[in-house]
Amino acid sequence: MFYRHCEDSDGRLMGGEMTVDKVAEILDGKVLYKDKEDERHVGKVVASDLMSDVLLVDADDILLLTSLASDQSIRTAQIVGAMGVVVHNNKPLPASMLSVAQTLGIPLVTCPYAKYESCVRLYKALCAESGSEEQ
Amino acid sequence: MDSQSVNAVGSTVRKTEAEGDALVVMELIQRLKVRDVMTRNLVTLSRSATLREAQLLMRENHISGIPIAENGRLYGIVSIDDIIQALDGGYISEKCVSRMSTHLIVLEEDMPVSFALGFFENYKYGRFPVLSKDRALVGIVSQRDISRVMLYELTQEINRLERQHTRAPEDRVGEGAQLYMLREFPVVKYDFENAGKAANEIKRLLREQGVAARLTRRIAVAAYELEINICVHSNGGTLSFVISNGVAEVVARDTGPGIENVEWACRDGTSTANEWIRSLGFGAGMGLANTKRVADKFDISSTLGKGTTVYAAFRLDGAEK
Repeated sequence: MFYRHCEDSDGRLMGGEMTVDKVAEILDGKVLYKDKEDERHVGKVVASDLMSDVLLVDADDILLLTSLASDQSIRTAQIVGAMGVVVHNNKPLPASMLSVAQTLGIPLVTCPYAKYESCVRLYKALCAESGSEEQ
Repeated sequence: MDSQSVNAVGSTVRKTEAEGDALVVMELIQRLKVRDVMTRNLVTLSRSATLREAQLLMRENHISGIPIAENGRLYGIVSIDDIIQALDGGYISEKCVSRMSTHLIVLEEDMPVSFALGFFENYKYGRFPVLSKDRALVGIVSQRDISRVMLYELTQEINRLERQHTRAPEDRVGEGAQLYMLREFPVVKYDFENAGKAANEIKRLLREQGVAARLTRRIAVAAYELEINICVHSNGGTLSFVISNGVAEVVARDTGPGIENVEWACRDGTSTANEWIRSLGFGAGMGLANTKRVADKFDISSTLGKGTTVYAAFRLDGAEK
């Protein structure tokens, strides 16, 4: 499942100021790991449990929404240069996942919602932020 | 330069050095799991044992704590402190169960050693029982166990670094010459815990060398897909990463079983992965197709019963595919 937010007619991204902390706030989630100095903003939201799908996305600063509670979500995120990973449905994480996130410097968030709900919430927030109308 | 900026520079340098020093250890305590350091030969007592028996057993085995367990189930721990208090209080003949600690802090065997170190830091216990995923007692860890394995692993690591260091001059060809790099990573069948590590490392190396972000991503995606392929579909193999003459090459070699129909395997959406592999987020049949898509040059050869070699090359001169 893919979700692209608020692109203008040239396909440029109009989101911009949303940090991982803000994402966690919108999704009623918990930030499990984030470097204090990491202030990257969401470039594009990608929701998928299939890591090969994620690897297809050619964009900077992806926010990965997934239900795949495994090290591979973090490893994939590092490969594509993601700015953060959100694991859904409050899934319990394997002990190694947090340490992989720390080692690779990938912010990690858990939230209680399903991916679809998160997509809707983030879409609304991003649209509100960039001033465009909800579609 | 005023004194404030001198201080700032000084502290930056110190920080970097400290980080450099710690990196090997940091990697080690993440890579090593509790099961790698724990003692498996457990000395335990059943619930019917007395504190006196515990005392004798501790003396015989030179240990300072004994788990009370039956059929793999952990009920509590008797420590040397409990024994001292029992001797002092005159109740050494009582059963262990009446005096043992039952509020136990336990480790799980697949936790990284960094967790164990954190436990020793946060709780003032000398040892932690180790449980398996299905909550059975499988070992016990003391700080001494960790020191022993860490010392061994660090020695190995230092030897490796020393070897690398003596080879280092050959790694770079002349002043201002093009970048030359060669790395080889073993990939083990179904080792999902480590699958992707090689690709993560390749990505880190490319970033460190200042290779453009988009090109880095393309190379890393190919490396990751090929590494996962070896892990999921083959009997194991190696992932090699070479940079020479302005070209980066990722080569995946495995030792079988080989692909029957290579053309079919390279098509989008074709896969022989089972449900279990799919539940881990792979096996959509996009690995080879994805690799082909990102690479400037792609080649695959496979012999049934022998193995498969996949080659993906990328021009580093910035020319976009």
